Formats: sequence, structure tokens, C-alpha cells
Amino acid sequence: MKIPLHMAKEKDLQAAGLRAVPEEEKQQALVKGIDQYRQWARSLMVMLETCTKCGACANACHSYLGTGDFNNIPAARADLFRKLYKRYFTWTGKTIGRYIGAEDYDAETLAKWVTYFYQCNECRRCAVYCPFGIDTAEITIAARSIMTALGVVPRFMTGVAANMIKTGNNMGIPKPATIDCCEFMEDEMKEETGLDIKIPVDKPDSDILYIPSSADFFSNVDTMIGVAKFFHAIGANWTIPSTVLEAANFGLLFSMDAMKEQNQRMREAAKMVGAKLVVQGECGHGWRAAKMYTEGANGPAPFGLVHILDYAYQNMDKLKFEKLPWRVTLHDPCNYARAGDIIEQPRELLKACVSEFVEMTPNRERNFCCGGGSGILMDEMMDIRMQLGKKKAEQVKELLPLDFFATPCSICKAQLPHVMKFYGMEDLKMGGVMDVVGKAIVLA
Amino acid sequence: MSNIDVKGQQIEVDEDGFLVDPDVWNQDIVEAFAKLEDVSELTEDHWKVINYLRDYYKQFGIAPMIRKLCKDTGFSLKQIYDMFPSGPAKGACKLAGLPKPTGCV
Ligand code: SF4
Ligand code: SF4
Repeated sequence: MKIPLHMAKEKDLQAAGLRAVPEEEKQQALVKGIDQYRQWARSLMVMLETCTKCGACANACHSYLGTGDFNNIPAARADLFRKLYKRYFTWTGKTIGRYIGAEDYDAETLAKWVTYFYQCNECRRCAVYCPFGIDTAEITIAARSIMTALGVVPRFMTGVAANMIKTGNNMGIPKPATIDCCEFMEDEMKEETGLDIKIPVDKPDSDILYIPSSADFFSNVDTMIGVAKFFHAIGANWTIPSTVLEAANFGLLFSMDAMKEQNQRMREAAKMVGAKLVVQGECGHGWRAAKMYTEGANGPAPFGLVHILDYAYQNMDKLKFEKLPWRVTLHDPCNYARAGDIIEQPRELLKACVSEFVEMTPNRERNFCCGGGSGILMDEMMDIRMQLGKKKAEQVKELLPLDFFATPCSICKAQLPHVMKFYGMEDLKMGGVMDVVGKAIVLA
Repeated sequence: MSNIDVKGQQIEVDEDGFLVDPDVWNQDIVEAFAKLEDVSELTEDHWKVINYLRDYYKQFGIAPMIRKLCKDTGFSLKQIYDMFPSGPAKGACKLAGLPKPTGCV
């Protein structure tokens, strides 16, 4: 079978601190990888042992609805993992394997794993509809992490990982460039407001460490500007770190080891400036990685951790807005609504900032993914990405005309312009919730 | 990794068609990339964008913020898309011989 992804080669793996397991050892390594993971994450066992094949998850998954591919039904996707688990780790699987759906490892196993575990956006919508709460995203996370240890990983992921090792962010922005970007944004804000609004870098003795997405230093400038204006408005003593200029944590999407390393970077950055509070920028999965795993996987942290949308919401009484005459809707990033407890805060902020806020259907924890979730942003996947984004496009189309489409996550911001263009909504303006805050805020 | 033929010379590009070695960049390569990127004619304006990107990359080791590119060259984002149909990141950076901007872009 042909894999729809560009896979990492030896050189790519090396740059990301990874290595390839030789072909003849892959089967053994895969079985060992499953064994280690199931012992580390008992939750995975529950997911693997419980499915009754009731089918309730099929129509919950935008990946299946968009592609129509059987293997993208959550239970079928999970079965790619379950078959091996049963074959190698259950007594019935070892003895009467094929009668109970167990399957031997063969030449196609890894090709199928890569193909379908990289068509799962790890959005967790299936878990909302499964009567047992089976979360196929957990199985995808495990499968991807196990494959990465074998050297089976898309080149896109190793490219990002190599940049993270080299510069502390996914885009590969070195510190002098970060400073140049900040000066540029400060000039922009000065021109617009006449005020000296700073974006401090590595400032010692800062109360707040703000972690932006590195994409805010390339394409999503208005998000960073909105955040800087907000901190200015509340008089915060804050800084951004040059050592981890990245709210995303792709480790969660391809290697649990890489995820822990990045969380460690964040802890060290907070320590370096003496921050009591770490505020995470607009990134969905990164918020999940920070919130759920900073302490869980790396031990107690001596600082508070909050998401920028939550923090801005908590400070709303200190802010003054002049409503923009806009009709706006909100896309709930999956990792906010189904993994991060960020649901009402962006709504309250938007309602304060614009004249008309409208909900798409379904919304909140039942919202559909943008189709780029879990880092499916590879160019070679563009056709599949458009299928994954089909449900989202249908949701938005029903609400037209809109003046602005709020998509407060960097992956959504990268994926959705392509989706909107593909489905005939090219002119729709999009961006983060903090972009809107920055435009509506009245500064003294 | 594969090669493209530039006036009889084999130039190495990555899976996304970007130059593997930014140092081999020259005018012939820009012209070859222009054809692949649906840039019909390389005008003075194209060169203004390309040279700006190269200078920035030489100084900072990364592509500039898109808004800064627009502001410093005086072109709107729409004008840049008109010149480079696949946009500033995928089109203009490719012609300028920069690595492909990656991450959430
Ligand atoms: S809804 Fe749950 S139990 Fe039913 S098929 Fe899907 S994963 Fe299995
Ligand atoms: S996590 Fe999302 S994309 Fe993955 S199987 Fe479940 S519903 Fe489908």
C-alpha cells in the first residue's frame, strides 16, 4: 500500500535525535513498544479491551465522514492496534487468534498504522459518543509514539522536532530574529495607538512568562499584538522566553519523550525569569500537553499555569472595549473543548468585543475538528486535509455572511484558510480570539 | 529528495521542492522554480521580494514575518499572492532559495 506521507529518512531522523530500527527487527520492536506503553498507560488497556463494535463512534468522526474510508471509523482505526495487542498479549489471541480478530504482524502492518493513525486528528470527538468513553485519540497518540521509536515518522514531524532542538520553537526562529519581530510589532502598535507597548524577551524578574506560538512570529501577528495590548492594559510584569518560543508541543503528536523534554524547557524558562505564572498562548494541543502533562509527567511545578483566554477572561473587569460592528462565530479547538476546559471564556471575550456573536452547530464539546488537528499540516496531505475539513466547512457555510471567523489555535489557523478556500469561502477573514481582543480593546 | 534539471545541471531539492543547499542558489534556479510555481514572468517586483527575503535570511537565518515582508517591500499580501500564486511562504521563499517555513503554517 502507498503511504500518503513523506516519511523521515536517516538524515531527518538524526537531526531530530531519532534512529531507525533495522527492517528485520521492526516486528520485535513494535511488540516491545506496545508492551512498554501499555504498562506505562493503563488507560490504553481499558480502551483496547472494551470496544463492543456497537458503531456509535462512526458518525461522530469527521475523518470517517469526510473520507468515507472504512479504516477511519474510530473503532476500525483502533482495531489496527487492537489486533496486534490481542495477538501478542492475550491468551485467546495467542491460541485462537483469527477467530477473535487477532492478527499477525506482516509487511503491511506499519504502512497501515502510519496511514490511518495520521488521518486521526486526535480530536476526541469519538469519545463523547462512545457509550464506554473509548478515546481513539489515546490509541493514536500511543501508536504514533511507538512508531517514532522505530524511526517510522513523517518528515514533517522530524523537521519540527529538529527545529525545536536547535532553537526552542517549531519554526526554527533564532533569538535575534525573535527580537527583530518584537521590535517590528512594537512599531506597529506605536503607529496604531501612539503608545509604547513592549514585548519583552527573556526579561529577568518577570511575574508572568507568556509562551506564544512560533507561528505568531510569522503569520499570526495579530494574536501576539492582541496579547501584548492585553498585558499592557492590565499593567502586567511579563516576558516571553527565547528558549521556548512555542506553545505547541508536537511531542504529544509523535513522541511522548519529546513532549516531556519540551515541558521541561518551559519549566526551566519559568525558573530563569522567576515567573510565578506561566500563561500559554493560542494553541490547542499545546495547552493539553502543558495542562495535563507538565506535572503528571514531569513532577510538581513551582508556578501556576493558565491559558491566555482564561487569563484574559479572569481580567475582563479591568478591560475596556469598544465593540466592533462584526458578525463573528467561534470554532472550538478540540483540545480546548474536549481536553482543556476552555469553552465559555472565548465566548465571553468575543461577546464583549463584537456586535453579533453566533454559534455554529454543533458547538462546544460536540464541535467538529478543523481537520488539521494533531499536526496534519503536511503539504502532501492536502487532498486528505480537505476531506478532513469538510464537516467544518459545512458548519461555517450555514452561518454566512460573517465578518470574522475566530479560530484560536495555531493549527486551526494554518489549516482553515485552505479549507475555506477549497469550499468556496476564500474571502472569509480569520484569526484568533486575542486578535479580536486586541482590535476592540481601549487603551489609556 | 530528488533533482531538478537547471540548464543541464542537476540541482537537489527536498520532497517539497525546496533547495536542499541554499548556497547553490542562482538566477537560473530562480527561473526554473518560477516555471514550477506558475510565475509567468519574473519582473522587477518579483526580484524586490526575492532579494528582500534573501537579505533577511542571511541576517537572521529565518524568513521574515509576512507582515514585515509586506511593509518593507511595500506590497500588499494580495499583490504578493498575485506575484507568487502559492503565497509568500511556499512560493516566494522557494524562489528565494530559503528552506520551507515549517510548523503551524
Ligand atoms: S462507540 Fe465505542 S464501543 Fe462502540 S464501536 Fe465505537 S469505540 Fe467501540
Ligand atoms: S479522535 Fe477524532 S479523528 Fe480520531 S478517531 Fe476519534 S473522532 Fe476520529
